[in-house]
Amino acid sequence: MVELVARTPCEGLLPYEAGEAELSEIIPKRITSLAPFEDSTLLKPLKTALGVELPAPGQSVKAKDGRIVWTGQNQFFVLDAEVPALDAAVTDQSDAWAMVALGGAAAIDVMARICPLDCAHMTASQVARSLIGHMPAIIIRTKTGFEIMVFRAFAKTLVNEVSHVMDAVAARGALST
Amino acid sequence: MRLTCPICGDRDRREFYYLGAADYLDRPVEGEAEATHRYLHLRDNPAGVTRDLWQHEAGCAAWLVVERNVTTHEILQVSLAKDEIRDAR
Amino acid sequence: MGYSAFQLLKEGLTGNKGWRPVWRDPEPKAEYDIVIIGGGGHGLSTAYYLAKNHGITNVAVLEKGYIGSGNVGRNTTIVRANYFLPGNSEFYSHSLKLWEGLESELNYNVMHSGRGLINLFHSDGQRDAFARRGNMMCNQGDDAILLDRDGVRAELPYLDFENTRFPIYGGLFHPRGGTARHDAVAWGYARAADTLGVDLIQGCEVLDIDVDGGKVTGVQTSRGPIRAKKVGIVVAGRSSQVAAMAGLEVPIESHVLQAFVSEGLKPAVNHVVSFGMGHFYLSQSDKGGLVFGGDLDFYASYAQRGNIPMMEHVMEAGMTLMPAIGKAKVLRSWGGIMDMTPDGSFIIDRTEIDGLYMDCGWCYGGFKAVPASGWCMAHLMAEDRSHEVAQRHTFDRFRTGGGLMDEEGTGSQHNLH
Ligand SMILES: Cc1cc2nc3c(=O)[nH]c(=O)nc-3n(C[C@H](O)[C@H](O)[C@H](O)COP(=O)(O)OP(=O)(O)OC[C@H]3O[C@@H](n4cnc5c(N)ncnc54)[C@H](O)[C@@H]3O)c2cc1C
Ligand SMILES: [Zn+2]
Repeated sequence: MVELVARTPCEGLLPYEAGEAELSEIIPKRITSLAPFEDSTLLKPLKTALGVELPAPGQSVKAKDGRIVWTGQNQFFVLDAEVPALDAAVTDQSDAWAMVALGGAAAIDVMARICPLDCAHMTASQVARSLIGHMPAIIIRTKTGFEIMVFRAFAKTLVNEVSHVMDAVAARGALST
Repeated sequence: MRLTCPICGDRDRREFYYLGAADYLDRPVEGEAEATHRYLHLRDNPAGVTRDLWQHEAGCAAWLVVERNVTTHEILQVSLAKDEIRDAR
Repeated sequence: MGYSAFQLLKEGLTGNKGWRPVWRDPEPKAEYDIVIIGGGGHGLSTAYYLAKNHGITNVAVLEKGYIGSGNVGRNTTIVRANYFLPGNSEFYSHSLKLWEGLESELNYNVMHSGRGLINLFHSDGQRDAFARRGNMMCNQGDDAILLDRDGVRAELPYLDFENTRFPIYGGLFHPRGGTARHDAVAWGYARAADTLGVDLIQGCEVLDIDVDGGKVTGVQTSRGPIRAKKVGIVVAGRSSQVAAMAGLEVPIESHVLQAFVSEGLKPAVNHVVSFGMGHFYLSQSDKGGLVFGGDLDFYASYAQRGNIPMMEHVMEAGMTLMPAIGKAKVLRSWGGIMDMTPDGSFIIDRTEIDGLYMDCGWCYGGFKAVPASGWCMAHLMAEDRSHEVAQRHTFDRFRTGGGLMDEEGTGSQHNLH
């Protein structure tokens, strides 16, 4: 029998550190995409199970055993927590995304070089869909830095691009001290 | 150039995909050849204020109607295409 | 006025004080046989061939700015005949032949340089498509050579052949393709047309087109009314506005295309090179500047300047193809207004109005067309029937859907070219 070995999207690529920035992989227990129908009363079981309402556009909320993250027009991702049976468009996307955490004092400088958002003005738990280089990405501001999600097939490109910028920011930092 | 998406806020031009004149919202009746020709090809193409369709492709994915001045690149108004269609009905 | 080596020497030794303006600055007459609106490359060549080929010299070219202020002086000067589809193929072939005799025709140095053009390919599929295009070019009577990777390396050793994402598989070499000095082309045609009696009227904006009973009778301009038996609209990016003066709606959306030039460098790039996987193409001007560009900004615009994302994209693609270019400083960037048609091909045709003709829809590729466009537009206006190499380029192809010429094979839709 062939034994299949499950690998995480960024396995062997992370963690990475350069200067004042660090990049590491996040492995959510599960990722469930949720697109509600128009009738919001259908979402009751979700509220009962997770204890929170869906977040407003551009926001994420802590929920029981996980988080709910706004990810687009009428679309949300439930991270970690299990989603109860629900009358909505629900898909399991656990294996479809690569997720990383960018932290350290230079995280904002790194983002400034590679993302068109004004990341310095994002507040913790705020979310945006935007770009990392040319890659579509979901970007979550945390207390200590940023979480970035891209399609799993882009994992290597993501690590390559972000670590390249981390090196450049570190080099610039070294020059100015 | 920056567009203010009604859902996501002020964003860089590179997050958006441009489709073309908002004429695309007025689909002709199927089988009307002359109307289809106008819909697909003929354009006012004004050198001033125009209305066109964009999608917040790398953002929330919403389709937008953008009113802008094409000689100055000034953005005058951005609204959700689905609201425009609803209003027109 | 002719130019000669003796005259150059004499002027050079006497402080260049003897040069005179090479065309007149006439007052507009009350009436002409033919009025051409637009003094760009196409308007000027139309006027020249009306006089030269058809003996019609009572002609005025009305230009709202100055000669060469439009796209004819803003383009990246690539001249080639590597089109694929019937219609475009014979037209651009005709144009390249005219380019090759243009300097003696006009007695003017337009600096046409058939230095060779190489379109790179980066996959098996792209190779097949280019091989097919090359065969079409040869069938048409033009030249094309399929180069493999080593063949490209011999010509363009400075490219990055090892790029992991877009390795260079080879290139389609078009030896007769090349460049010309853009504004010299405008000046050369202007001078030659003027010599044959054409009035070039600069600073003269057409404000309205007079139509009486379905027939054109003249134009209203910023310098007064001018009567005309026939009027040609040859205004590139402004086609929609000028057509609207006659109540016409045309299948055109105006877009912005940017270009860039670096500081002057020693001769390094001997060809015109285009990247097959990112939007980037490059040549080196005779002054030494690297002249390069990419794709449209992809939104309707009349601003004659573009935005930063496309600049960044062009620079990224350039760095990918030719990392050494990162050492060069960009001196200038600019934009021009492109008259984009849904299928990406041009129009030289009559309009619904008697005596009113249009030459438009040049998209981002109308510089190479300047000689043949004028040739065919003059033929159409003089004889009231299309020239055989431009007979497929009608307005009607959009209405009927028959005979669309979508070179890129992306579909006949405004935002796809
Ligand atoms: C950045 C850039 C790069 C390009 N690169 C290439 C290339 O490498 N190869 C190639 O083949 N093509 C290229 N092109 C395309 C090419 O330049 C154009 O297709 C071509 O020049 C258009 O024709 P024209 O010369 O007649 O236009 P223009 O020079 O724009 O002439 C039109 C004239 O009409 C005048 N006009 C407008 N309205 C009025 C009015 N109401 N009254 C009087 N006059 C009026 C304008 O002032 C203008 O002078 C490029 C274009 C750009 C902008
Ligand atoms: Zn948005």
